[in-house]
Amino acid sequence: MSVTRINVGPVHPSTHGVFRMVVDVDGDTVLGVEPHIGFLHRGVEKLVENRMYLQCPPYMEKLDYIAPMAMGDSYISVVEKALGVEVKPKAQYVRLILLELQRIASHLLWLGTLCNDIGQMFTGFMWGFRDRDIILRLLEDATGQRMFYVNMRLGGLVRDLPADFEEHALKTLDYLEGRLADYTDLLEKNPIFMERMKGIGILKAEDAKDLGVTGPVLRASGVSYDVRKNNPYYAYAALNFRPAIQGSGDNFARYKVRMLEMAESIRLVREAFKRMPDGDATGMQIRLITPKAQNRISTVSRECPRGEQFLYLVADPQKAYRFSIRSPTFINLAALSHISKGQRFADIIAILGTLDLVMGDVDK
Amino acid sequence: MKIERNFLKPKMAEMKKEGFDYLVKITAVDYVTYVEAVYVIRNIDKDTEMLLEVDLDPSDLWLPTMLPIYKASDWYERELQEMFGIEIKGRRARRLLLEKWDGKEYPLRKSFKWNAPYATSE
Repeated sequence: MSVTRINVGPVHPSTHGVFRMVVDVDGDTVLGVEPHIGFLHRGVEKLVENRMYLQCPPYMEKLDYIAPMAMGDSYISVVEKALGVEVKPKAQYVRLILLELQRIASHLLWLGTLCNDIGQMFTGFMWGFRDRDIILRLLEDATGQRMFYVNMRLGGLVRDLPADFEEHALKTLDYLEGRLADYTDLLEKNPIFMERMKGIGILKAEDAKDLGVTGPVLRASGVSYDVRKNNPYYAYAALNFRPAIQGSGDNFARYKVRMLEMAESIRLVREAFKRMPDGDATGMQIRLITPKAQNRISTVSRECPRGEQFLYLVADPQKAYRFSIRSPTFINLAALSHISKGQRFADIIAILGTLDLVMGDVDK
Repeated sequence: MKIERNFLKPKMAEMKKEGFDYLVKITAVDYVTYVEAVYVIRNIDKDTEMLLEVDLDPSDLWLPTMLPIYKASDWYERELQEMFGIEIKGRRARRLLLEKWDGKEYPLRKSFKWNAPYATSE
């Protein structure tokens, strides 16, 4: 056995941001991977400790910049819990709709980059980005921004949905539903794609739990845990949310979970429009708030597109005393070394692709 | 739930046997007079979550490693070491988590110098 040490990154098109890993290989077989992170570390936890509550959402949204809506929502939720603010009934539905649209957009970007990562499949990349853009246009209608919406306010949102939003959204969802079938055709009938996915990078259920992985990666290993199902918030319980679960734990299972999640998100948004109560969805405007913390310690779990984000907040009256973030991608990346052992070198990139990393979220 | 440092490891092993087999997060809070480490564990099948809190004297900052019990603790422990200066005993010494950090100051401790223009008083 002869061990060769190969450096990948920190600037590499397949590492989804600034990320470096040192890989030990024997021939083409991987013996170990040592990830090096921190190139995007901005100290968000410390920044939040030194700003007023409502100055912080823009920092939070730059963590996972592929799904900023979910980041802003989880932050506002933990502050709402600390300050004892109730979310208005209509706002709960509007938030759910925006979050699920954001999830589809995020998964489409993941799908595009996955096709790019495994090579020679630029069609998937172009399709993914094109369809994601249609959803970004919808979100722009609703919030005024393409990305970094800063759309959540205590108890609701900055503004209610525009009058024609439902019509546009439903039309888009019909289109996307057809597209999902196209994606399945494009990818699952492609022998190159299937060979890079099936049976590669297997993570067993016990290992998945022990390593603490979360989100689609955990559910692909057959562990039935989705915050939206197990600890429902907003209207997920009322809409009878069904989590996507696969058992094999390989790359294909992780791909399939996300594809099924997109279909489920489409269903959820349609249902939410049907059942949305009348009323007002706007939250408190910034200048009217004098925050006074009710609970000293609050915790919140939210199912973001990349997995469960857990927030721990020790509250002072005007700002956070301590704010701790459990990033879903951080702990998923920690499992990379375990998953890659014994695989081929080129498959590390496919595994990285199915882990769906965002380095801004890993490094905080 | 407060727990003493010496009982932490046996307690965690016991909780894991009882079904709390998922480690959500290890974090810490600097209350200046003491540092509190927080372990969040979860029983996935029963949907219950538990917070174990350990108070540490700032002059005697160390914790036992949880690696033999939860593999997930690896990066969280390195993070604690780097951000709070809490020494983790019983594990192979590894480099800190983030790149190019000199490790002489601990950013998430309250003594860390912070000069932001909008910082409010403590």
